[in-house]
Amino acid sequence: MTREEIIAEINAELAEEFEIDESVITPDAPIYQTLELDSLSLVDLIGIVQTRYGVLISKAELPSIKTFAQLYDYIEQHQK
Amino acid sequence: MHDVLIIGSGLGGLECGALLAQRGLRPLVLESSHQPGGCMQSFRRGGLHYDTGLHYVGGLAPGQALHKAFEQLGLLDLPWQRMDKDFDHIIIGGRHFAFHQGYDGFVDGLAKDFPHHHKELKSFVEKLQNINASDMEVCAYDYLRQTFSDDLLLNVVSAAAMKTELRRESLPLFNFAHTCSSYIESSWRLKGDGNLLVSKLISIICKAGGEVKTDSKVVLLTEEDNRITKATCADGSSYEADYFISDIHPAKLCQLLEGCPSVRKSFRRRMASAENTCGMFTAQLCIRPNALHYFAHNVFVYDKPNVWTMTEENDPVKGVMISARIPEDGSDVLRQIDLLTPMPWHECKAWTETKVGHRGEEYKTFCQRKAEQCIALAEQYLPELHDMVEQYYTSTPLTYRDYLGTPEGGAFGMRKDCRMPMLTFHSVSTPVPNLLLTGQSIILPGIEGVTMTAFETCNKITQEKAI
Repeated sequence: MTREEIIAEINAELAEEFEIDESVITPDAPIYQTLELDSLSLVDLIGIVQTRYGVLISKAELPSIKTFAQLYDYIEQHQK
Repeated sequence: MHDVLIIGSGLGGLECGALLAQRGLRPLVLESSHQPGGCMQSFRRGGLHYDTGLHYVGGLAPGQALHKAFEQLGLLDLPWQRMDKDFDHIIIGGRHFAFHQGYDGFVDGLAKDFPHHHKELKSFVEKLQNINASDMEVCAYDYLRQTFSDDLLLNVVSAAAMKTELRRESLPLFNFAHTCSSYIESSWRLKGDGNLLVSKLISIICKAGGEVKTDSKVVLLTEEDNRITKATCADGSSYEADYFISDIHPAKLCQLLEGCPSVRKSFRRRMASAENTCGMFTAQLCIRPNALHYFAHNVFVYDKPNVWTMTEENDPVKGVMISARIPEDGSDVLRQIDLLTPMPWHECKAWTETKVGHRGEEYKTFCQRKAEQCIALAEQYLPELHDMVEQYYTSTPLTYRDYLGTPEGGAFGMRKDCRMPMLTFHSVSTPVPNLLLTGQSIILPGIEGVTMTAFETCNKITQEKAI
């Protein structure tokens, strides 16, 4: 899957699942504020990425993912 | 208006009700079916009571895992009877082993059969006594492979863990250890049926001014200002409360939350798509009078050392648990034996669209064949058992699905996975602050797991109220 395909797919899915307008998802936007994540919904985000791409974001690496661009990077690097 | 409304009257729901009642709150428990108790309920056939989920309990002696919790819940004064010193007997490939109560006895007993592995057994029980949250990330099977150099011994120490889903790739050591440890501390059976436990908890709830209503199926939860305010039942009645606790399967709860703005699709999807554990097949035998004496131990019989693989394909039956029921008349004449074996959901596929009592002849034949296989395996311990059986009743994961509303009839709730602990061990909290979860799917299954989770759920409410 190319980076562009990942971006299009994950943006649409996150907008649908977190019930927000897709247009607010931009590469540099902060994930936590944009998706209104708390400790519970953060687990939902990890679940979506795991189910869709088979990519499990580890607890240790979570803090390094702050923006959507960093999320795309992570998926791109770890997808099977 | 009640202080707390609890959806579901399984052990977790009733324990939450009793705990909160003891803490001065007025709970209302709503149960969809006619009989309360979930897996703790029993049924009566031919003048005898048969239990559905209660077989034995571990750690009830002072200072042990469940003692304090059961003391607080008022459950210690029920007629618990301590089981034999050799509480679990294991037969694998015709060889006989025994688990002794007490960690030292457990090690020394098995070391007689495995004299060169005393150190490994010692290390194993030390681990059992020092389990913590980090063991949710450890694969139980990998741990056992690293600990035991003898494959038969690995199978023997795992053999009584039919009380959980033994899945090589995913079962966390945290779950495996909790399935073993409290029973090694001490093992107990209840003289009488599971309804004793259910009635006791209900009486605590009612004494405090709470209520338990059966035939009350909640179909909708209403949210206002980020709080659940009301539960509406199928008959149109509705109940308000300050707090709500769900003791039903989380996927079922999400169906009640469709219109709640605080619960986004992401949460509902995660709960709905979670995997369930396998179910169990049970053959409940009524034994002819004076054919057998009561025995106060369980027996786990396997045709070969395949304890960790049999749940993947258990047809024909490769392992069975034999659980004897304490004679209620005070004699030592055994009238009832339960035979249990894991049964994956795919074995039920032909009958998923059917309902209790209307599954057809093929299903009856299937259950008879499976029961006969269980009996044949059990005959390794009880020769000629087949001829002693007067009557038997069977249940499959379909029975549990239809009576208890458990998706896929999973016997141990939602599956835990050591590779994804964050996704499979759940918080008792939900996106709505006054809606909490309890029951076997959340953290740990079994009586110990459900009881510990009930305490965590209730502590959350009383702490918040204190603030």
